[in-house]
Amino acid sequence: MNASDHNRWSEDLAAFVLGALEREETAAVERHLEGCSRCQEEMRWLAPALQTLPESVERLEPPPQLRQSLMAEVRADSRAQAAAERPARTRSWGWLLKPAAGFAVVALLVAGVVGYEVGKDGSSGGGGGGTTVERQLGGINVKMVQEGNSGTLQLAGVHQLPPDKVLEAWVEREGQVEAVPALFVPDRDGQAETRIADMSGVAVVMVTEEPQGGSDQPTSKPIMTMKVPS
Amino acid sequence: MPVRREKAERLADEELMPLVGRKDPEAFEVLFDRHGGAAYSLAYRIVGDRAAAEEVTQEAFISVWRSGARFDAARGSVRSWLLSVVRNRAIDFLRSRAGKAPKLTFDDDSVLEQRPARERTEEEALQRETSAELQGALGKLPGEQSKVIELAYFGGFSHSEIARMLNLPMGTVKGRMRLGLEKIRGDLAEGLA
Repeated sequence: MNASDHNRWSEDLAAFVLGALEREETAAVERHLEGCSRCQEEMRWLAPALQTLPESVERLEPPPQLRQSLMAEVRADSRAQAAAERPARTRSWGWLLKPAAGFAVVALLVAGVVGYEVGKDGSSGGGGGGTTVERQLGGINVKMVQEGNSGTLQLAGVHQLPPDKVLEAWVEREGQVEAVPALFVPDRDGQAETRIADMSGVAVVMVTEEPQGGSDQPTSKPIMTMKVPS
Repeated sequence: MPVRREKAERLADEELMPLVGRKDPEAFEVLFDRHGGAAYSLAYRIVGDRAAAEEVTQEAFISVWRSGARFDAARGSVRSWLLSVVRNRAIDFLRSRAGKAPKLTFDDDSVLEQRPARERTEEEALQRETSAELQGALGKLPGEQSKVIELAYFGGFSHSEIARMLNLPMGTVKGRMRLGLEKIRGDLAEGLA
């Protein structure tokens, strides 16, 4: 390659580092860079100049809610991942309910109740007084098994979720809505299960589809809502 | 096990990144506290709106949180990587907005309303780059060089788009980009930038 040829590439490098080349031109420069140590060296030389550009803008203080909102999403992500990584048996005993009260949410829960059906479950409860509520709700078979103070919500026939979605359960207790912290997803057969550590005073259980990391309050129409017998 | 906040604060950015890759919220929070201001300022400089800058910054940091392992220390500092993520998000935001009618800041709105959305966005960008107060190394460049660099870096325009906007040959635009970056680089080497 003669000097004139090289100058052509050299001219393009500045536009390349600024991201100002068209797609085809970018691809051509990338191919050239792979085999041209002189241009690689020139790129390394120019790189610090590019790094001064974002530092040249007037500095603003980010609004406090940006940090709060960001960290809330990050911590919810972190909790969901921690829950997902624990073995199911251990996980089920570790849950605590987090408060996510809101009058509108309560209204949504109560308005969404479509009924309930109760049956004493003498067989699976092993004579221990377990209560099972079963219901077909919107194409989903719902089974709520209460034993002692805790409960297990079992769903069958749940549709597959997009990769960026999870299921989140909610309980309404004394007019307050609480999110069940551990998020869950249906398996390949459409079965999903979550455990509610404290069922005392719970009047309604609901499940919604939420973004990865869960939400502080329901953001979508419930896929099921079930009233729990007192 | 997440590190304690006090410990995370003592770590360099490059030491925080593996922790962020392992989804440590404390390490991530320290990273945001160090660079969130620069990120938000850059996003605002590009999108020109506080609410949009907030949205862009949050999306950029969430993408970093979810893909922290993609940081390659061999290719630069954590800060420059973070700011490049923010810049890319902000440019994407501008481009997605280009299909909609942008907010106009010109005197003769009626003329501009009849132009295609993309063209109006270019006009907006030109006005913004012309009126923006230049700081740091960029502020020391001749106007003709700083303008093409700003339109490319903060406006997300290609050299051919800039050539059309400024009614210049494409070679001239690329030449000004090169001269500008070389001048900044030279000043850095001499400790002037």
